[in-house]
Amino acid sequence: MDLFILTNNEWVRDRMGKDYQVDYRELSFREILVAARDLIHEGHRLLTHPLSGSVKPQETPYKSMALTKSKGALDLRSLELIENAIAACDKFIVKFPNMPDGMRDDFRLIDYCLISKAL
Amino acid sequence: MKLTVGYIDIHDIQFSNESKVENGVLYVNPEDIKALASEDENFASVSVDIARPGESVRITPVKDVIEPRVKVEGPGGVFPGVISKVDTVGSGKTHVLRGSAVVTAGPIVGFQEGIIDMSGEGAKYTPFSKTNNLVIVCETKDGLEKHVREESIRMLGLKAAAFLGELGRNVTPDEEKVYETLTTKEGMEKYPNLPRVGYVQMLQSQGLMHDTYVYGVDAKKTLSTIINPTEVMDGAIVSGNCVSACDKNTTYHHQNNPVIHDLFEQHGKTLNFCAMLITNENVYLADKQRSSDWTAKMCKFLSLDGIVLTQEGFGNPDTDLIMNCKKIEEQGVKTVIVTDEYAGRDGTSQSLADADVRADAVVTGGNANEVITLPKLDKVIGTLAYVDQIAGGFENNTQEDGSIVVELQAITGATNEMGFNCLSAR
Repeated sequence: MDLFILTNNEWVRDRMGKDYQVDYRELSFREILVAARDLIHEGHRLLTHPLSGSVKPQETPYKSMALTKSKGALDLRSLELIENAIAACDKFIVKFPNMPDGMRDDFRLIDYCLISKAL
Repeated sequence: MKLTVGYIDIHDIQFSNESKVENGVLYVNPEDIKALASEDENFASVSVDIARPGESVRITPVKDVIEPRVKVEGPGGVFPGVISKVDTVGSGKTHVLRGSAVVTAGPIVGFQEGIIDMSGEGAKYTPFSKTNNLVIVCETKDGLEKHVREESIRMLGLKAAAFLGELGRNVTPDEEKVYETLTTKEGMEKYPNLPRVGYVQMLQSQGLMHDTYVYGVDAKKTLSTIINPTEVMDGAIVSGNCVSACDKNTTYHHQNNPVIHDLFEQHGKTLNFCAMLITNENVYLADKQRSSDWTAKMCKFLSLDGIVLTQEGFGNPDTDLIMNCKKIEEQGVKTVIVTDEYAGRDGTSQSLADADVRADAVVTGGNANEVITLPKLDKVIGTLAYVDQIAGGFENNTQEDGSIVVELQAITGATNEMGFNCLSAR
């Protein structure tokens, strides 16, 4: 399968790591989008939407995206999607700088559901 | 396909020993609703309450809103494939308890449910401050998966709406309206000089707790297809999602889809309302390509001159919206988008997360980031425990005087992307 998952969600790392190649990074929501942009510039293509789910950027700390393992010429559509996602991210405030654990788990769950059902 | 809708006007709702509709009053025995809940072992407790227009009442966290309806003539029953058998609906006669609604409330995923205020500033933003609401507050048992809770609460809401709708079976409606969709050939012959207009509705389908069901089928697993608009009036499309409250298409919105009603209003006068198409909003980019290719292909196949395109949600669906718009326009079919905006609190940021030069006719339902203050109200149905966590809320947003500061995102139906809302620049 020509895909791997880029994520900052421990649940995705722990639950999907057996079946998929997972690139886990301890980053903020915005930082993981920027990491995806770097990978796109290296020639990987996005396979899932960077703003999946109704949860807004900065409301959730977690984001998982699937990208191609293989590299080709720069995919402009992937670049456009990730740039738009970063721009969208910057207009939302960070809602819960001190997020309670229960809420954190809800966000981990939603992100995990979205990526696991998409693949 | 022809459907007569008989509207029974409900101007009050009251508890009673007997559930019935009499002289425009909906009487409900709460035990009847609890009996429906007892069919599902996932509930730890279910309480039933009433909220009327103008009362000092706040309902939260709201999951879904459903209008009670019953089929009195013709094949099938309401919510086909979910509550009734899967027979094709949309013809015959349907009775509606207009002015009433079932509201389901209770925590599922804390941050994805909404607020309905029955009076005060918040009431101006939600259409459900004007309905007589039977509110079912559901607590599910500990240890259940979130999506299992969602399904239990969804099903109870639909069952309760079907139960209440049944009370209107033998009541004489206050008003009757007839909605008819012609076949392609009939429409072309009858209205040869009117523009052929379609409606393309995008359904939320991003995954668990982001689902919409069509005749009981998860829209995520469907190809773009055709549905008769009158089928939708009989509950063929059901909301199964926990998404931001302001632009969630509740089941009530689907039953009363304003795009369908407005197109029917103009049908035979200024346009020929030919067809309704439904398509999805999946997360996987290849799914988006397949679905939007398919939608554009059908618009061309149906020889449409123009379409209205509506979406549900923000971000990921914006990409489907733009892909649909672009590809349909490329087929020579004029496209008008109905959406809402996430334009930042001051309204100056780009409204959608995607864009294209062909998206040159857009109707907005309002800016979901706009901030409002909701006054303290006397009674809360449900709990205020989540008003900071819900989409549109934020840390410490309850003031000393009990008022709550939120973005419009938090208000159920405030910026609805089918245009079923109250915001206007007029």
